[in-house]
Amino acid sequence: MRATFFLQRIAQLLIVVFCVTFGCSLLIQLVPVSPAEILLPVGSPEERALLTAEIGLDRGPIGYYVKWLGDFVTGNFGKIYYSGGTEEVSTRLADAFPRSMWLMIYTQILALAIAIPLGVWSAYRVGRRADRVISNTLFATSSIPSFAIALVLVLVIGVRLQWLPTLDYQPYSAGIWEHFKHMIMPVLSLSVGLIASYTRLLRADMIATLREDYITMAASKGLTDRRILWRHAFRPSSITLFTSAALNMGGLIGGAIVIETIFATYGVGFEVFAAINGRQYIALQSLVGLISIFYVLFNMAVDFIAGFVDPRTRDRRVNA
Amino acid sequence: MRRKYTIPTYLAFGWLGVAAFLAVFGSFLPIDSYQTIHGDFIDSPPLTAGHWFGVDSNGYDILSGIINGARLSIFVALVSVGVGGLVGSFLGVTAAYYRGRYDGVVSTFFNVVLSVPNLVLALALVAVLATNVDINQPVPTWRRLATLVIALTVVIVPILGRIARAATLAWSGREFVTAARSMGMRDRQIITRHIVPNVLPSLIAVGFLAIGVVIIAEASLSLLGVGIPDGASWGGMIARGRNDLEYNPHALYFPIVVLAFTVISTNHIGDVLRGGLDRREGRL
Repeated sequence: MRATFFLQRIAQLLIVVFCVTFGCSLLIQLVPVSPAEILLPVGSPEERALLTAEIGLDRGPIGYYVKWLGDFVTGNFGKIYYSGGTEEVSTRLADAFPRSMWLMIYTQILALAIAIPLGVWSAYRVGRRADRVISNTLFATSSIPSFAIALVLVLVIGVRLQWLPTLDYQPYSAGIWEHFKHMIMPVLSLSVGLIASYTRLLRADMIATLREDYITMAASKGLTDRRILWRHAFRPSSITLFTSAALNMGGLIGGAIVIETIFATYGVGFEVFAAINGRQYIALQSLVGLISIFYVLFNMAVDFIAGFVDPRTRDRRVNA
Repeated sequence: MRRKYTIPTYLAFGWLGVAAFLAVFGSFLPIDSYQTIHGDFIDSPPLTAGHWFGVDSNGYDILSGIINGARLSIFVALVSVGVGGLVGSFLGVTAAYYRGRYDGVVSTFFNVVLSVPNLVLALALVAVLATNVDINQPVPTWRRLATLVIALTVVIVPILGRIARAATLAWSGREFVTAARSMGMRDRQIITRHIVPNVLPSLIAVGFLAIGVVIIAEASLSLLGVGIPDGASWGGMIARGRNDLEYNPHALYFPIVVLAFTVISTNHIGDVLRGGLDRREGRL
């Protein structure tokens, strides 16, 4: 049973990644101009023909895709073409990926660290003033787009108060404080929306769990509320929350384009944007393929982990 | 069963009403065109006589910019959510009703589109569709607008499609559907008479949330420089205000606040509508 389920999920993963990358390569063929002409604006016809052959564009849609796929699975993600020369996409990624990864990890940690206590507390005090204040405040903040928060932070903290640098990224090797200084504002702007959605998810599930008989049972045994909340109710209520958190991972890796642009963090999202803007179609296809692989992998991991953490809860939620 | 609306809900409806009014009748109001340059008033702060929201550093009046921007921001949002919702719910409802291989294809399509982050998808579509044969020739505005709407529509299709599919799955197993079928009702009739009326409320609720998603996506694309040019939408104004936020922050604040209010309103209404549907929340 488990094994077939596992295989099915892997097949799904492969189908999704195949469709995404194949769709992407079809899109490239849809461009009204030959990509070689865009990649080599000043090249001679011979040079362009050479490039067309190198990318595989002379082999028709299927042949081009097969060539790209062969390169992709062997770790050759293609090149970025400048007027002066070329650069491997993998070199760019080696620089951009850690930036996105740290951004994503800090954002998730901050969002969960704030959302979990808030969610548990407002479920515990459901309908009371604390719950209403938390829910309404979060509702308003969740609707504000992250770039709006980012721009206001830049203006107030960066420009007026001059507390934090507004641009650039520093690796750990430049010193921990330097590293964090450049991360605080992007992480804040990304996590505000997440805090609200995580809190709501956890609150809704906690409320459902707190109605269960075993919670009444635990309370009648005389356990303290704190113990009931954290030891008995939190774990079965947290599945939707962690599912959603994991699903956001893929999106945060490639989807933080605007924030990465505003703060010049230059992570994976920015690379995607640069590839689109510079019409680097080969790089774009590889990047989008990688992002979708990430998304689907996290998606799949969540399914398994959720099943292992509490199979009973999972069935209940599916049927609910 | 129906909850009474609270004050915030009326406020949200009111705000959207004002925005819709500006979008439709904005060009008939006695204000200057948003493209008029007020050379004498450059950088004037809010509450300057004649320019109540101030003037930005290019000399554009911010109030008329916002009134004018309502048209494009709301037009883009309504068209993409409308068309995307129609296509998505058609696919979702039929997939869940007929099941089988067709359902597999549609669900895979939804999963594929959803596995690419919204903005990446929209950006890629805009990049491909808005490329001229002569790459040095700028693309005309109407074509940028059209590609923008198409890209955002593609983003919306799977979001609403999945909701339609899930809701149809829940309803098509109900007794009255079986009863209708056993009485010899045609599939098409069952779908239009029994499934669609039941699925529609949750689609409308999520549709309101989708409007917020589209408004934000449009603004993000403008910030990245691929949206509607010349500050003709709220997103475009934010993108332009960002350039001199140090000296003229109100050129940024006003469109941000207007945009945030609009998104808060659509989200709130979507939430209220959904709250009336969801049984688990309804018990609270």
